[in-house]
Amino acid sequence: MSDLSEVYNVLNKKKSLRAKILSLSFFFNQNNYVFKLFCSSTVFSQRFEIQDQTFIKKINFNKVFGEETFKIIDTKDLLYFNELDGFDFQKNGVCSIMYFFKKPVGFLYLFSKNESEDKLLNISQFLSYYFDGIIRQFHMESKLKNKTLTLQNKLLEIESIFNITELLNSHNSNSSDLYQDILFYIISTLNASKAIILLKNIKSGSYDLIASVGVNTEELNKKMIRDTKGILSDLKESKSSLIINNTDDYILSKFSESNCMASPILSQKTLHGAIIAYDKESRQGSSMFDNFDLRLFDNITKKISLSFDNILLLDSLTESKKSIDNIMSSISTGIIKIDILGEIDYINSSATKVFGFDKDIIIGNHYFIIFEGNDRLISLIEKTEIEKKIIFENNFEILDLNKKPLQINLTISPVFDENNDNSGVVLSFEDLSGINKVKSTFKKYVSENIVDELLKNENSLELGGKEEDVCVLFADIRGFTSLSEKMDPPKVVYVLNNYFQSMIDVIFKYSGTLDKIIGDELMVLYGVPIRAENDCQNAVDSAIAMLDSLGDFNKKMNNEGLPQLNIGIGINFGKVVSGNIGSRQQMNYTVIGDNVNLAARLCSSAKGGEISISKSVYEKLNIKDAFTKRAPIMVKGKEKPIDNWSIQN
Amino acid sequence: MSKILNVEEANGLVIISTSGYLNKDLGEEIQKVSTEYVDKGSTSFLLNLSQSNIVNSIGASIIIEVIENLQEVDGDLAFCELAPIIEKTFNIMGLTKYCKTFSSQKEALEALS
Repeated sequence: MSDLSEVYNVLNKKKSLRAKILSLSFFFNQNNYVFKLFCSSTVFSQRFEIQDQTFIKKINFNKVFGEETFKIIDTKDLLYFNELDGFDFQKNGVCSIMYFFKKPVGFLYLFSKNESEDKLLNISQFLSYYFDGIIRQFHMESKLKNKTLTLQNKLLEIESIFNITELLNSHNSNSSDLYQDILFYIISTLNASKAIILLKNIKSGSYDLIASVGVNTEELNKKMIRDTKGILSDLKESKSSLIINNTDDYILSKFSESNCMASPILSQKTLHGAIIAYDKESRQGSSMFDNFDLRLFDNITKKISLSFDNILLLDSLTESKKSIDNIMSSISTGIIKIDILGEIDYINSSATKVFGFDKDIIIGNHYFIIFEGNDRLISLIEKTEIEKKIIFENNFEILDLNKKPLQINLTISPVFDENNDNSGVVLSFEDLSGINKVKSTFKKYVSENIVDELLKNENSLELGGKEEDVCVLFADIRGFTSLSEKMDPPKVVYVLNNYFQSMIDVIFKYSGTLDKIIGDELMVLYGVPIRAENDCQNAVDSAIAMLDSLGDFNKKMNNEGLPQLNIGIGINFGKVVSGNIGSRQQMNYTVIGDNVNLAARLCSSAKGGEISISKSVYEKLNIKDAFTKRAPIMVKGKEKPIDNWSIQN
Repeated sequence: MSKILNVEEANGLVIISTSGYLNKDLGEEIQKVSTEYVDKGSTSFLLNLSQSNIVNSIGASIIIEVIENLQEVDGDLAFCELAPIIEKTFNIMGLTKYCKTFSSQKEALEALS
């Protein structure tokens, strides 16, 4: 080797310290030099395995070098070095101290059989100065690198908190995907090896594994996890994040090789779940979570708890709203809520159907606009707003969206909030159009009384009967059979329809219930299903009016060249069995019993234009003078003759 | 959970594909494999992280060491199919400053071959 410039060239060819040292070792080796660098690990990174750590720790720099910065090894030094058993040093080898901030941290050893002590000393000192500068630079770079790494880690932590916040804000349900994503952020931010999230199963009270990273989930899912012992019990008690080094909770701690951190997911200060992160990683291997990690972890899980609470609250509100909507949708009563500003803020499906509204259009609109044309309704709403009193209106007429009139039973009520302040009005109404339609159709077939009774009481449609006092009227056309034989059938039907219409109008006027039409005979009941003050008087008045009406009918028939009719009427009052008689598919509301038969017999005995009544009827009449007692009649099934009274038209 | 799925050579490029958590263990595995290939003379590496959806700072710092070691032999490392969370971490840790990133392995092979 000629001069130092060769050494310098070797060093300058390489950039990294490791490469410089390796190249230098190779260069000296080629030139038959023994070169060794002894240095403390605090100066060089442990990645450079070039120094003998044991040796450098043992060496006493003062003893070897004294006040000098270099040393040519003599016999005494050899003995000392051999005691330390570090390296096979040679006599006349040169050692140059390397300083780090004025403190000796190692030395260079250089030996060659072929070179002079001076040259060795010269090279050694050059290298010592060179490495002194390099070490300073390396140290500064390392320090800067570590600081940068720390800053980068802090940035990652901040980013993770941002990311978790964004993640929580973007989800509105407790989906397992959300928890899995959260866990990814937690585990990477904390440098944890593994982590799990457990959530309480409200029904069973045990905790379910919701998300995991690096854990044997199959095994964990088989275990019953409760908060009565171990980590969850500690969290339930402390309600804050914990570092757990030793625990008796075998199930949850068995994944931990060093230590773990556990943090509670709280809702209303009650434990609803937990996040556990296991085994912090470091470049050197597994390390322990410390209080800085705990602070970060706690911060993150508090955010999750808050979000969890909000999600639970939202779920509960959604559930309640859904439940109310379901109830409101299933009831037939129309509901419209108008807020304090007069804007419609709720309408159920029955209300939209009645008015023909489109829900989306009317919500948020003022009732003045929505109920345009329904001036009476608007004024009633205004009245409720002002007087703050409930208003009831039966058979109230409204106009739907197509201006079609509808009948409703309406209630308008003021609404008050928890402070008893008025917060609007609510309209509730029953649509009567359906009921009215049924009534009008039904009334063509049966008496209005029966229709009302059936609509009022659905039990009245059941088969069966009860005994009660009823007045029964029979009216029969005299000689109709022979009359009809002489007429065309269509004319017979025409005459009969006109006759029945005249009679039934009268019957209904006097609260009679048309029981049935048997051929040309009418059977009418008074007192069922609705009892009047004097059903017998109603029946008699009805019969007299029937005969009067028959006079008008006959005039009409006469004008049309059709035969006139003559009827006889029989009326009896007494106990009968009333109810629905027949089968489930076909039933008739009627009455049966002896007293019904007697009414029919009285009808048979009456002459044309005559009303024949029994004693029980006669006794209940307010004015009896018009009736004359007739000779008692014998009736089939009765041993004694029956007293009867009559009146002639 | 974390492992090297596949190592293959294509057009002078060593492609290392991984799955799972890019933490210390997986980072060291990648470092070991890359060192083996460097010793055999390879210098260009592509890390396909399509099956890895999470990384920690230890894993990232080991990848930095891999980059440093490759730079000593004038080699380079590129990444493909990075999950957003990994890309963000690599950006913060400064890895992407020294390495090219590609959205797919096909794109990387076309650009690097």
